[in-house]
Amino acid sequence: MIWRYRLILILLMLAFAAILLRLFYWQVVRSSDLSLLGQTQYERSLQITPERGDIKTSDNFPVVTNKISYLAFVNPKQIKDKKKTSIFLSSKLGVKEALVSSQLSLDKFWVPLKTGLSVKEKEEIENLNVPGVGLEETYTRFYPEASLSAHLLGFVGKDDLGKDKGYFGLEGYYDRLLRGKESIRTQIFDALGRPILQETSSNIKNSKGNSLLLNIDRTVQFIVERHLKEGVEKYNASEGMVGVMDPKTGNILALASFPSFSPSNYRQYNEDLYKNPFISNLYEPGSTFKPLIMSAALDGGVVAPQTKCNICDKPVSIGGYELHTWNDKYYKNTNMVEVIQHSDNIGMVFVGQRLGIDKMLSYLGKFGIGSLTGIDLQGEVSQSVPQKNVWYAVDIATRAFGQGISITPIELLVAFSSIANKGTRMEPHVVNSVETQDGQILKIAPRESGRVISEKTAKVMTEILVNAVNKGEAAWVRLKGYRIAGKTGTASIPIKGHYDPEKTVASFIGFAPADNPKFVMLVIFDKPTTSIYGSETAAPVFFKIAKEILLYYGIPPAGE
Amino acid sequence: MKKPIFILTIMVVTIIALSAVRVVISNSISTSGIALDKIDQALSFYKTQNIILRERLLSITSLEHISSRASEMGFVESKSSISLNKPLPLAIKQ
Repeated sequence: MIWRYRLILILLMLAFAAILLRLFYWQVVRSSDLSLLGQTQYERSLQITPERGDIKTSDNFPVVTNKISYLAFVNPKQIKDKKKTSIFLSSKLGVKEALVSSQLSLDKFWVPLKTGLSVKEKEEIENLNVPGVGLEETYTRFYPEASLSAHLLGFVGKDDLGKDKGYFGLEGYYDRLLRGKESIRTQIFDALGRPILQETSSNIKNSKGNSLLLNIDRTVQFIVERHLKEGVEKYNASEGMVGVMDPKTGNILALASFPSFSPSNYRQYNEDLYKNPFISNLYEPGSTFKPLIMSAALDGGVVAPQTKCNICDKPVSIGGYELHTWNDKYYKNTNMVEVIQHSDNIGMVFVGQRLGIDKMLSYLGKFGIGSLTGIDLQGEVSQSVPQKNVWYAVDIATRAFGQGISITPIELLVAFSSIANKGTRMEPHVVNSVETQDGQILKIAPRESGRVISEKTAKVMTEILVNAVNKGEAAWVRLKGYRIAGKTGTASIPIKGHYDPEKTVASFIGFAPADNPKFVMLVIFDKPTTSIYGSETAAPVFFKIAKEILLYYGIPPAGE
Repeated sequence: MKKPIFILTIMVVTIIALSAVRVVISNSISTSGIALDKIDQALSFYKTQNIILRERLLSITSLEHISSRASEMGFVESKSSISLNKPLPLAIKQ
């Protein structure tokens, strides 16, 4: 009998062991799979696409925000007569019939038909009651000021995964801050599929991106864009651009280029237009570069304002090249004040030779020439200044009057601002502060890039530039009653190893009021045809804009 | 012997009553999902309306719009400005 008891006991133990093993398999080995299976029966996860942050000008006006638009989609499996539906939907949605037909022929449950539908269009589609057609609410970028400051803002396109991504300008540079974090919201349902009351995920409130508050003054930007567009059309230039900066803080007050594009319909424009030429285009600055070299020479003590130029009475020959003045007029024993006033190339050759390569390179480095300015926009480029061992004798002469050296307009604007800011260079900034969704304001403080020239030199150079405005080539358009420091520029364009005599880059750079500058402005016209000179194209536009900005800031004339 | 029966009866009744209350409350809360759904829909509707109204407001307060409306209404740009840059003399010596 004992062996029977023992056999039953062993059988029972084996049965328990089998049950234990099976339980171990379901509860340990397959626990995560079963848990997931259970969750799918009563939980649904919704991906919350974050609303992109706003971009606001200094008056807190959102120049970029979001608007609701709708995505029309279809379930091809619910469409019975695909050909008839294709014709009907293409006419109602304004999409090509072939595209709708190809989408309906796919073996999928969900295919998109058209994005960016307005509320009115959405209601029209809903009223059609086409089975299988649905609408999904999405956010798209909205630009209340239309294409104002398009180059500065950039645009929002799609990445490889079809998600929103910022390209160019601020949208590109601050993409991660603006787009926010994606979050998941979980909703529990009962057996009949009805939602059950429960606490939502805690991270949903942080699903909106951060907003940017800019230094850009909307009124100044509007004034600049209006005059720039008029200027490009009037002087029949291929391109025009204007940058306005506060020299004391480095705040960018306005930045505009024309021709431009519409950020909401960027696909309709040539891709070449997406780049902001003010930070991405290299050009030879010509005479607007002379104040930098003259400041360096004055600060280095190699010339004084009253130093006489003893080679200025005729063209000079250097390294097999004969160098002339822009108008072939020569002034014997001219001084440094007059060299800038007449925009005398030979006078600048004299200054360059006095300065020498080492000092010139050192000062160009201090002015930030040849390096990125650090502006908070996507797409900035710079070209290094050639090293000392590759400089020929003629290079020091031509670079002294702004030819044979390539820079971006932002480099020149920032370098020139050092003169207006008592010799200290500031880092340019478009964004003033970042506003988080918790309401925190993270301020971006002005940053000094370093001292370039002494305060005394800056003051002397300012007087030389005021004299250039009052007595130089652009004196005919100057603003009477205001002390404005500035310089014209007419740069030749290098084409295949030589300079084209008919095509120029006309520009004007200056700051006002000269004694307590509120802004520094650079105006550039590329290849103007009605006149090739900066004094006849860029200078009038500069003074028109300056007049309106001075009135806007409430700065009265204070005598010359 | 009567007391323990009475106490036990009260305990059993209490347990049954509490269980019943729990069932009722659970049932009523679990079906609040319908109300929640309605609230969600209303919230979404008002949010949408707010965004649409904000869009209209921003469009009509933009400088582009104001500028074009002003020119349509006949406003012209002021070309001159008046400023008093020197103080007028209080008395002039004859």
